[in-house]
Amino acid sequence: MSVNPANRPTPPDASQTSSGDALRVLAGISGRVPAGAARTGSGGGMLTVIPRNCVGCRTCELTCSFVHSTHGRLARSRIKVREVGEKRFVQMTCLQCVEAACVAVCPVEALARNEATGAIEVHEGRCVGCSLCEKACPFGHMRFDPEAGLAVKCDLCKGEPMCARFCPNKALEVR
Amino acid sequence: MSIRLTIDDVEVKAEPGEYVLAVARREGFAIPSLCHHESVAPIGACRVCLVQVTFGGKTTLSTSCNMLAEEGLQVVTDTPEVRAHRAMNLELLLARAPGSARVREMARQYGVTRTRFPQVAESALANCILCELCMRVCSRLGHDALSAIGRGDKKRIGPPFGTPSERCVGCASCRSVCPTACVFVRDTATSRTIWGKTFEFVLCKNCGAPVLTREHRQHALAHAGLPEDYYDVCEPCKQADAAGRFANVVW
Ligand code: SF4
Ligand code: SF4
Ligand code: SF4
Ligand code: SF4
Repeated sequence: MSVNPANRPTPPDASQTSSGDALRVLAGISGRVPAGAARTGSGGGMLTVIPRNCVGCRTCELTCSFVHSTHGRLARSRIKVREVGEKRFVQMTCLQCVEAACVAVCPVEALARNEATGAIEVHEGRCVGCSLCEKACPFGHMRFDPEAGLAVKCDLCKGEPMCARFCPNKALEVR
Repeated sequence: MSIRLTIDDVEVKAEPGEYVLAVARREGFAIPSLCHHESVAPIGACRVCLVQVTFGGKTTLSTSCNMLAEEGLQVVTDTPEVRAHRAMNLELLLARAPGSARVREMARQYGVTRTRFPQVAESALANCILCELCMRVCSRLGHDALSAIGRGDKKRIGPPFGTPSERCVGCASCRSVCPTACVFVRDTATSRTIWGKTFEFVLCKNCGAPVLTREHRQHALAHAGLPEDYYDVCEPCKQADAAGRFANVVW
């Protein structure tokens, strides 16, 4: 089932705080992420983070670790909710950078963009487990699973981000 | 121009230079393997990827990882004979790597739970199946820190001459790809020991957690062309910092 952003009500304050804007500003701060990087699905929506709506329930983390069951432990969720102050949370997930540090650093071209979804994906058969991508991502979004010897990252669930579907508070959306 | 071959009677297409195992997996046929890795050239060492091949009227068994796809080739991935040979090879591998959960599980799937072959005496690398995958990957990464030492019964994989290698950067890719996870790595809060050599970690500027070895960082800087400060902070600290910047924008 696909997420249809058009049919969903607009959450409060979303117009001011849509992460489309926030991501762009973050990119401006770091100078490392070109704007509008994370597209997803054939509809071309973006996985959008709306931190003001996040209550820190970590449903997204749980969903992510279940969906990617081969590495399915909460600690290995690809999205991470971080507390940044009193009852303030920011859901941190890969920005699918246009010029991605993880892709640049991989010595065996095991990371490549899925043009259909916009996600940068790990080609597990090619990954040699050097862990450099984890070290190089400027935002700490890449993970290395030492047991599997493989890199682990957000793949936007092949175009239908489950974290967005299961977030009960409209703090993650595809739009 | 594409080549046409059949796998289990299904016609599939391949490009010249493609190997049978790669074509089969791409097309969704299951063939087991231990020493195959897409980032390095295949050598057919573990012999678990055996399949039946018919070409020019002759039917034989062959390792599929290093057999080139050919026009008109007929591949069968599972016959009683194929299973029997895989089982025999797994029984031999079990004698070399009794401590490997992966080898034991694969052997079990072929009905092999014990080995009649003498277990290989305690060696420098217990559970090593001599597949050279570590060595092939290390060369592929440009480090060339491993080699095969000795022959026959005495064959071992390790740094050349058995002494710690100048070229090893302590990246532990060899450990990541080893099918029996037998490459011994010992990490402490500040150092990593691998193949008899001890490396110092670069420590996170914020929290002091280990990030990567100095030599690995040096190698990455020389090859990936990313700014130096990309390797100075550990992942959780980087993420916390980015979350803070994000929050300043939102609130
Ligand atoms: S893992 Fe990091 S560097 Fe790679 S695309 Fe995601 S945010 Fe960018
Ligand atoms: S861990 Fe895998 S994906 Fe990451 S840089 Fe190394 S080989 Fe590439
Ligand atoms: S150490 Fe592992 S990868 Fe290297 S030859 Fe032995 S079994 Fe193969
Ligand atoms: S740790 Fe050393 S031996 Fe192993 S792959 Fe890296 S450079 Fe090669």
